[in-house]
Amino acid sequence: MRDLGLRLRSWEGMLLAILVVVVALNALAAPGYLTVQNQINLFELSVEKAIVVLVMTFVIISGEIDLSVASVMGLAAVVVAVLSSQGVPTEVAIVVALGVGSLCGLANGFWVAIVGLPSLAVTLAGLIGYRGLARVLIEDRSVGGFPDWFESLGQQPILGPLPLALIIFAVMVVGATIILSRSGFGRYVYVLGSNIQVARFSGVRTSRVRLTIFTASGFVAALSGVLLAARLGAVRGSTAEGFELDIITMVLLGGVSIFGGRGTMPGVILSILLILNLRNGLGLANVTGNTQTGVIGVLLILSVLIPNLVGMARSRFGREEAVTLTSPGMTQID
Amino acid sequence: MNVRLAIALLGTIAILTGCSSPGAASPAASVAASTPAASASEPAPSASAAAGGAVKATPGQSVKMMLLPKFLGILPFDQANKGAEEAATELANPEKLSFVGPTAENSVQGQIEFMTNAPTQGLKVVMLSNNAGDQIAPAAEAAQTAGTKVVTWDSPIPSAKGESLFVAQVDFDSIGVVMADMALDLTGSDGGEFAVLSASPDAANQNAWIAALEKALKDPKYAAVKLVDTVYGDDVSEKSYNQALALVDKHPKLEAIMAPTTVGIAAAAKAMQDEKLCDKVKVSGLGLPSEMVSYTLNGCAPEFALWSFVDLGYLTYYTSYLLATGAIQGTEGEQFTGGRMGDYTIEKDPTRDAGLRVLMGPFTVYNKDNVEAAAK
Repeated sequence: MRDLGLRLRSWEGMLLAILVVVVALNALAAPGYLTVQNQINLFELSVEKAIVVLVMTFVIISGEIDLSVASVMGLAAVVVAVLSSQGVPTEVAIVVALGVGSLCGLANGFWVAIVGLPSLAVTLAGLIGYRGLARVLIEDRSVGGFPDWFESLGQQPILGPLPLALIIFAVMVVGATIILSRSGFGRYVYVLGSNIQVARFSGVRTSRVRLTIFTASGFVAALSGVLLAARLGAVRGSTAEGFELDIITMVLLGGVSIFGGRGTMPGVILSILLILNLRNGLGLANVTGNTQTGVIGVLLILSVLIPNLVGMARSRFGREEAVTLTSPGMTQID
Repeated sequence: MNVRLAIALLGTIAILTGCSSPGAASPAASVAASTPAASASEPAPSASAAAGGAVKATPGQSVKMMLLPKFLGILPFDQANKGAEEAATELANPEKLSFVGPTAENSVQGQIEFMTNAPTQGLKVVMLSNNAGDQIAPAAEAAQTAGTKVVTWDSPIPSAKGESLFVAQVDFDSIGVVMADMALDLTGSDGGEFAVLSASPDAANQNAWIAALEKALKDPKYAAVKLVDTVYGDDVSEKSYNQALALVDKHPKLEAIMAPTTVGIAAAAKAMQDEKLCDKVKVSGLGLPSEMVSYTLNGCAPEFALWSFVDLGYLTYYTSYLLATGAIQGTEGEQFTGGRMGDYTIEKDPTRDAGLRVLMGPFTVYNKDNVEAAAK
């Protein structure tokens, strides 16, 4: 148990160290990097993904996966755009979109928690199905023309230099951290991901917890889809396509185990900061698109490889036992 | 267990059907681009001959500039970069020109990211071929506020918000007319149905041209031709190819496909050639001679039009340099010399509700008589 605590701490320590290096290099390479406006820019360009990362952390720690988040984002954005363009008040359209997203999440949760299907298959079907629904609704068009107040919510600062999405993100960071590490629900999430049988026998209402997590995932994805529509001002069938991979990448780089049961919110937040700053630095150096993705891919592989290699080396030299994957984050629960 | 199996199977089928697509291929390999005959540099159009005379650029000033096409990886934008580099050398700008862009799939997000980062990079001007509709306007306005000029070329910002100037390749309304003419030509004297294969629904120039085409078609002269559909291939070869085939399936009486995009026209021509449909459905629109020569000679795409992207890049660089150095302010009526291409006047853009433009022109219509020479 102590090994694990150390390892987690060192994971976050490693992320922090890399983050410091990235920030230092960026500051040296790009004079404008440290300006307030640039710091806001770098968040604003990816804040919708970052918001979903927070809820995805719960999903993965509980031992599940939600591949459908980007499709739900797209569907919610499409619903807002299509309804608004047909004369429905945008306020109502937003509520409908959030409802649709929550229903998508609830449907995922139903198949996983009640019927007992693997979340990988269920949400893969969701990825295809919800995206398909979005494309049926909007066809091959680009729909925009939102009212000004909606676009300015996505584009203009409303508190100091901060736009709405950043404020929502900041509030959610605090909320998610508290729920995961300080609440009974957070504890259930860890237990569920560690060993679902144990959770069941200990009286955790596993179905209800999983339904809640998946519904929350759908709701938050829809919320960030609406924010994306507001920021971009127009929506297409391909809006947010492929975001799920970036989102899951940020969660895993944050030290959350893909097998569930282990990971912390501070680690995930460091991972978000690291990836956003890295992207921004590469962007300022005109390194973009596929190359950026490549760099982040290498980072992810290394971050998975290095700790495991260290563990293997330790066990070979017999100084310490290898850290195994079967004793997940009970340390979080005390 | 059976339920699980059934659902797993359904999922697999969904994936398979969702992903399978007729083996599409990229358009014909492109021959290295030689400038389509350094075309007759057209002197400033209209220009109510203000006595002031045209402003000339002072070479050697240091201006950090970025050429941002819709996306990287297709010939027209490489040609524009070639023209811009030519102007950069001529103007002896010590700052190297950045030629960057997103991928075609990530064009909207990618362009917004470049525009957002531009002021932080210390850029004095971004030369943008807009593929993000008005979605890029907030980022462009923020860039202007932070001291970065935004000059559009090829494809403007529809609302003109955040845009200093638009360097227009040709008059957008005239593209509508030339496309209507070509559609009439291809469907024969008895007319017939045709469809448009566009790039992305967010591409401002494409939308403007389709609108101009629809306007032109109202003329009784074109009563026999009927526009039955507009589809989008996103300037991705495979998607454009599939969309062209889908058009033929959907509209059995289709006689022509007009693609006002170099990616779309080449993909559509290849699709018709591969499916041996060239006798029935002709392809036309805007294309590069080097990519279209074989389709023009074999009759799949008997005629198409285009302008010089090298000249467009050259003129855009010149205009942007003058604007960023303060030699011109970007106001209506200003005259300047665009290097080897002659004098130009900044005018109101008559094809948009707002915005200023510099009109380059002209375009060339290619057919079997002149395409080979232009493709060399």
